[in-house]
Amino acid sequence: MDLIEAFFKIVIVIGALITGAAVMVFLERKISAYIQNRIGPNRVGPRGWLQPIVDVVKLVMKEDIVPKSANRFIHDLAPILSISIALCTFAVIPFGNTIELFGRTVKLMIADVNIGMLYILALTSVGVYGITLAGWSSNSKYSLLGGLRSSAQLISYELSMGLSIIGVIMVAGTLRLDQVVVHQTRYLWGWLPAWNIFLQPVGFITFMVASFAETNRLPFDLPEAEPELVGGYHTEYSGMKFGLFFLSEYANMITSSALITTLFLGGWSIPFAENLALSPLTMSLLQVGSFVVKVFVVLMFYIVVRWTIPRFRYDQLMNLGWKVMLPLAIANILLTGGLLLALN
Amino acid sequence: MNLYYTDLITNSPLLTLTATGLLLILIESTKSTRTRLTFGVGIVGLAVTGVLACFHLTPEQSTFNGMMNAGGYGSYFTIIFVLAAILTFLLSRSYLERMGNNKGEYYILIVFATVGMMLMASANDLIIVFLGIELMSICLYILVGFFRVKDRSNESSIKYFLLGAFATGFLLYGIALVYGTSGSTNLTVIARSFPTVSSNTMFIIGVALMVVAFSFKVAAVPFHMWAPDVYEGAPTPVTGFMATGAKAAAFAVFVVVFDRTLGFSGGKLNLVIAMIAAASMILGNVLAIAQTNVKRMLAYSSIAHAGYMLSGVAAANTEGQSGVLFYLIAYLFMNLGAFGIVGIMEGEDEKNLSIDDYAGLSTQRPVLAMLMAVFMFSLAGVPPFGGFFGKYYVFLAAVKANMTWLAVVGVLTSLVSAYYYLRLVVLMYFRDGKADVPMKPSFAAMVAVCVSALLILQLGLYPSAVVQLVQSFH
Amino acid sequence: MLRNYLPIIMMMAVAALFGVVMGKINEFIGPKRPSEEKQSTYESGMEPIRTARERFSVKFYMVAMLFIVFDIEVVFLYPWAVSYKHLGVAGFATMFVFIAILLIGYFYVWKKGALEWD
Repeated sequence: MDLIEAFFKIVIVIGALITGAAVMVFLERKISAYIQNRIGPNRVGPRGWLQPIVDVVKLVMKEDIVPKSANRFIHDLAPILSISIALCTFAVIPFGNTIELFGRTVKLMIADVNIGMLYILALTSVGVYGITLAGWSSNSKYSLLGGLRSSAQLISYELSMGLSIIGVIMVAGTLRLDQVVVHQTRYLWGWLPAWNIFLQPVGFITFMVASFAETNRLPFDLPEAEPELVGGYHTEYSGMKFGLFFLSEYANMITSSALITTLFLGGWSIPFAENLALSPLTMSLLQVGSFVVKVFVVLMFYIVVRWTIPRFRYDQLMNLGWKVMLPLAIANILLTGGLLLALN
Repeated sequence: MNLYYTDLITNSPLLTLTATGLLLILIESTKSTRTRLTFGVGIVGLAVTGVLACFHLTPEQSTFNGMMNAGGYGSYFTIIFVLAAILTFLLSRSYLERMGNNKGEYYILIVFATVGMMLMASANDLIIVFLGIELMSICLYILVGFFRVKDRSNESSIKYFLLGAFATGFLLYGIALVYGTSGSTNLTVIARSFPTVSSNTMFIIGVALMVVAFSFKVAAVPFHMWAPDVYEGAPTPVTGFMATGAKAAAFAVFVVVFDRTLGFSGGKLNLVIAMIAAASMILGNVLAIAQTNVKRMLAYSSIAHAGYMLSGVAAANTEGQSGVLFYLIAYLFMNLGAFGIVGIMEGEDEKNLSIDDYAGLSTQRPVLAMLMAVFMFSLAGVPPFGGFFGKYYVFLAAVKANMTWLAVVGVLTSLVSAYYYLRLVVLMYFRDGKADVPMKPSFAAMVAVCVSALLILQLGLYPSAVVQLVQSFH
Repeated sequence: MLRNYLPIIMMMAVAALFGVVMGKINEFIGPKRPSEEKQSTYESGMEPIRTARERFSVKFYMVAMLFIVFDIEVVFLYPWAVSYKHLGVAGFATMFVFIAILLIGYFYVWKKGALEWD
């Protein structure tokens, strides 16, 4: 019974992620168009809303072109790896508290494991492989350089990402993400929600920057810097294999936003909502809604940043990662440790 | 959670040297052009470590929840390692300047290699053994290839690294199997459960794998292949450091793991080690005769000496243990001294490394020739020098452990070894030649070799002081 | 205990299935009109010169090595952070020393220019 329940949750989450990614693609095009004083896609469906579906159909109908000199198996494997990892990361993120459905109490996260954060960190590391393998297997100079740059960038920022989570763990004292959220339902001085963004401002900033780099978004999208590297690691990909990279990029974006929400913005919690005396079901639904809204806000932030900030140079990127973010994150750990000691 | 303040105090030599190494890194990052400060601080740190170790020659005590033993045995080895490192420091400076590669990292690596050796000697847990071996080995891999523009140095570094990594693999598999069968990596616990698991095949395989790994580290036959090439390609002072310090560390582990933990109850294991010892003595000495390069000759000689010391380990009695401990300190001075003189003699582009280059040295550099003769006599085991008593004690232990055949092999191969050691002496004193020493040897290097020679004499004339100290560790 | 991980495995299976289906779909639905030109490696319209798999900058290796060192540090910090509130001053002091040792190495690497990209 548990497993059937889990299966439903998995299908819903994966479906939501893919739909969300498709919607994000569309929104990104639309918003970028407005920022650049254009109109954007508006032909397919009302105001162009059917554009994502048509895009997918087009990609599916394309020919699968693989260069002769490429390593066929790895060339096929890389996008599959990318998308699987991107989807799986969501398994430990709670998108709501619990909900009473058909007499069962359903916990709104797929897998309630006690090492949630380690799982996320591990999967992020594996995610590098998809890009590296794509770059290497194509046997094209642009792909290889893109893949190399990308792996160097990803592993550099993974450090600051891992280190900035540690502050949160120290405050919460657990690796379970649902516990982290529960911890954030308290109040500081009776009026300020104890969200980690207030408790860990430095950690929040480093995590945010690192997750921009981890998702290869501007201002850190050097792996596919078009003027220099054509398409970066997916230069030699076509059809839905290219589409999978695209999709996984957006899925990763959603996951990072969900992670930022969970770790720093109080997850599904709604401050002061417990005073409203709502029915449990309404409360649960509202909490899911709150989670979605928070994630959406972070995603909008992603998009606006992409279209307003110019790209870093590669040396600037690495300098920022190694010489600013890393010391900052370590200093944050020591600071948090000292403060916690002083407060206890 | 406790901080174990007492543990910190009893392990102060180790901590001091670690702090010294870290300080050296800081110095090296801020002042990268001159090495004088690095050299000086390193020497001072090593000396302080040695003095602290002298104060901790008290009976052993278990520290850090039984992970490490402090004092006694470990302190004795600490003194050996620190002496080796200090002598290497003194020998290296002028050598590196002559070769045009005087970088501060060299000294840092030697300090950290010494820390690794100290960890090995005071380990009471296989994990700490592994940690120490890795710390030492990784530093040595770099030191061997320190002259990175020289092909030979590079080659030997890669060779050492690949084979060393292989040996590490053996060690880890061995540790895993021993852990799996005995249920702990702690040596005390393993020793306690030894009677019940000693017949377990997996345990025996695990121990065998560990024998392979340690034999590799001491360069015993049949795991000696790397030694001649690596010793030849490495910078000469590093070769001396490897042949003495690293070997002593490996023997420290050998004695701890095989004699103290497993030794006294297992007969077959001792036989295996005895056979390795015999093979090392025979092969090392016989092959050394054929060498024309001094460093290669000393490399084979060090294989043979590993064999002598292993016969003390194989005997697995208290005489054997103290014999090995005594042998190691004598071997430290004679071998490091010999390599020191080779380093003083060596010119750029591998000049003066052939045995024939030593012909007629006595007329040109009488002091160097005399010191070299002392080291050669001691290595050959001629009575008034320390090397003689080392051999005497380990062979005595072998006889007491009913391994007379091993002692006989040892004595016979010693006779063989006399040939190639004394050949060098004959060349230096009774042949005409134009041995040209590149320049006046530096003061520091001369101090190092002179002190080594004096201490060998001291060990040969008054062995009892060290022997009593060594026997007090049981 | 391990049962908690079953959903993760299921999710991996579903995700992998989705990936395989989508990654292979072009081979079944899409047209197949291969040609010599189409299957050659893209190099801005030129004939590809040599293979792409040649030596590349040592800096990437440096980053990879440094990453391993620091990543292991991060992994060590996780269990410490979880139980930090129970460890008290001793826990803080121990980890402070650990981080300090690492920072010395970091400082060295920085000063020696291993973090420079120019």
